Amino acid sequence: MTAFLLRRSLAALVMLLVVGTIIFSLLIIVPGDPAELLLTTGGGTTTPEAVAALRETMGLDQPVLIQYLQFLGDTLRLNFGTSIIDGTEISQAIGLRLPRTLELIAAAAILALAIGIPSGTYAALRAGSAFDVITSGIMALLTSVPVFVVGTLFIYVFAQILKILPAGGYTALSDDPAAHFRALILPAVSVSLNLMAIVFRMTRASVLEMRSHDWVRTATAKGLRRKLVIRRHILRNAMGPVITVVGLQLGILLGSTVLVEFVYNWPGLSGLLVTAVEQRDYPTVRAIILTVAAIFIVINLAIDILYSVLDPRIRLK
Amino acid sequence: MKNDHKQNGVDRRTVLMSMGAGVTALAMPNFVYAQASDKVLRFGLSTFPPSVKPHDNTGQAANTVKLMMLRGLTGYDADGKLSGELAESWEMVDPQTYVFQLRDNAVFHNGNPVMAKDVVFSLNKITAEGSSAFLKSDLSSIASVTALADKTVEIKLSSPSAVLLDLLANFNANIIAEGSTDEEFVGAGPFKMKSQERGVFIELERFDDFYEAGKPMVAGVKFIAYGDENLRYAALEAGDVDLIEYLPWQNFDAVDASSTLKMSSAVGPFMFLLFNVTNPDSPLANPKVRQAIGYAVKRQDVVDAAFAGRGEPLLGFPNPPGSPFDLSDPSREWSYDPEKAKALLAEAGYPNGFDCTLLATSTYGMHQDTASVVAAYLQMIGINAKLDLPDWGSRVTAGKEGKYDIAVHGTAGYYNDPDSVYTLLHSDNPSYLQSFGFKSENIDGLLERGRQETDVKKRKAIYEELATAYFEEVPQVPLNWRQQAYAMANNVQGFNAYPGFLTFASPYVVDDTSVE
Repeated sequence: MTAFLLRRSLAALVMLLVVGTIIFSLLIIVPGDPAELLLTTGGGTTTPEAVAALRETMGLDQPVLIQYLQFLGDTLRLNFGTSIIDGTEISQAIGLRLPRTLELIAAAAILALAIGIPSGTYAALRAGSAFDVITSGIMALLTSVPVFVVGTLFIYVFAQILKILPAGGYTALSDDPAAHFRALILPAVSVSLNLMAIVFRMTRASVLEMRSHDWVRTATAKGLRRKLVIRRHILRNAMGPVITVVGLQLGILLGSTVLVEFVYNWPGLSGLLVTAVEQRDYPTVRAIILTVAAIFIVINLAIDILYSVLDPRIRLK
Repeated sequence: MKNDHKQNGVDRRTVLMSMGAGVTALAMPNFVYAQASDKVLRFGLSTFPPSVKPHDNTGQAANTVKLMMLRGLTGYDADGKLSGELAESWEMVDPQTYVFQLRDNAVFHNGNPVMAKDVVFSLNKITAEGSSAFLKSDLSSIASVTALADKTVEIKLSSPSAVLLDLLANFNANIIAEGSTDEEFVGAGPFKMKSQERGVFIELERFDDFYEAGKPMVAGVKFIAYGDENLRYAALEAGDVDLIEYLPWQNFDAVDASSTLKMSSAVGPFMFLLFNVTNPDSPLANPKVRQAIGYAVKRQDVVDAAFAGRGEPLLGFPNPPGSPFDLSDPSREWSYDPEKAKALLAEAGYPNGFDCTLLATSTYGMHQDTASVVAAYLQMIGINAKLDLPDWGSRVTAGKEGKYDIAVHGTAGYYNDPDSVYTLLHSDNPSYLQSFGFKSENIDGLLERGRQETDVKKRKAIYEELATAYFEEVPQVPLNWRQQAYAMANNVQGFNAYPGFLTFASPYVVDDTSVE
């Protein structure tokens, strides 16, 4: 187990280095000068001297290689530096924003699991029934509807017409818990729909497969209660693939929150990333991408470990 | 004597009256205060200000925030008329000397009075060597700023300026306390910073010692940024905010029809085409070709397609609405005339048209839609314009580096005077807002003369000449004026958009705005 963790951690570091290098190069290639952009936002004018002076303050007058080495050195020391746009500490900004994105993902995941697993199980146990057909149909629809369509629709119905939920925004939990959760509902549901459909389909397929196994028949034949058969013999075995998929999806969710956070003005990490890209705030973009990549890697590792806990036959080597 | 007893003392009625008045007087400020103090104006911005610095231009959103926290010597009143802010009065001693008298009760947020030395400090900071202040070149005609007394400042100019007072009213001409820095500045505006979170909100609270009595009328302003225009409108409709800027054009009709929302709009910013004229072999280096393009576009279609009909065709020199001069003259206007356009193209040696790129941006729908309509009309006279629609940041770089043939852009000047196109046309300020490589000594000279001429009649003659030069040399092809609107809930009172180029200075009106 220790050797496994060490090896995986080393691989993770190499991966992060590769990600960091790629993102650094990409940002160099993408056109757009942060100094010029900052000084001319909103269609104003500026002078070449002012742009040059600001570029110097931002450290953009340095050769690219020097900037790259500086970036590597800073990253190794876990120092993300400051935003070149407004000088705020980047790690502080990430520390503020990341929990909100994670909260969104956690709420979405809980919702998806809470609805996806029971309904998937029920649909599988009653395969071919009206419930199965209708729910499968709805879930198929949910997989195919993009999140910005759902988001726009939700805002239109719940905020603009019914006026029962805010159109977007965020209130700190400490300021007003009720407002906090009200603002969380629409974004969390929007993020969860897709995952919910995936969980449903995986659960349904997996349970369908499990229930036809010999040991299930044996368990039923020896007179075990149906509930127990389902829980102990079907579900526990069926959960393996579901967990793998959920784990992978959680990583993908980190990416898909970009749209949701934008649509609902949810001030999470993805929103910060979008703004930083628009403003060509290079250090902020790099720091966020590295953070997300690191989280992705950690989630995958955690899933592997969880997998072995659920199924002792799998040994981590 | 009838009233004898009154002179000797007070009678019962007087006592009662004065008591009543006293009670009312005591009660009233509380009453007014309670009315004004508990409401916060929630203001939906189109983007979060990248940074708020007193003298640097960091965009419209930042300008709006700055107007709340900072003030300059002059400004605009509720009707958009030039008025004193920190300066109570001023006098033009001679065309190159102005003396400003500061308000006695003007106080900075740190409690110190606004003194002449602060004005000297601020204006010198703007014009200092290496400053990145937006008005550095505009105010470079300031030869010296001197404190004549505690509250008296003299500004001496190296050349007369017809627009000094308008320049000083700009949101980037703020007076800050001596010793302030860009990062930590002390202003004297109606609100002071309470809290903020980058990218999310900025919360300001009322500055109780603001120099205009009874203002501001709200307890604070909370700015919330909504990058997506549809969400900005949805947030207003859902009641998440009270007021939004940049009402999306597709929502004008909905606000008009709404029973809970209203809007205030003004025709102000304008859309235009820019050209890369650096390559002598390029057709666009030929003014005849640019004139042909001027005749080729049916501007009402741009207004209808990109601005939901909310705008007006602009056929010649962009003299802002509210300008002191009427410069309209059909003989220097591009009416829609495809035959004339084709004839001009043929005259220039391109009877069959040519291929080129048309740069706009996908970040702003109005830019993209404008480009689509323009491309369709260019097609009709044989010019095949390929659309290039990068994101805004890339578009600015492409404009600055001349990586385009024709480009769409839209902007506004800062005051309602023809001089406000100075930075858009003068070759001293090359930027992505100008045709790449375009330089005309004639136009430069006219702009300089117009700025320095203080005689109204002579000034008008200069701008007549400039309008003609604009038509003949074609530094831009104008397309249309667009309406710029603020939308708000019905309970927001007193907010109205300024006319013309002043539209972006409208947040001055927040001083007079209340939320019921």
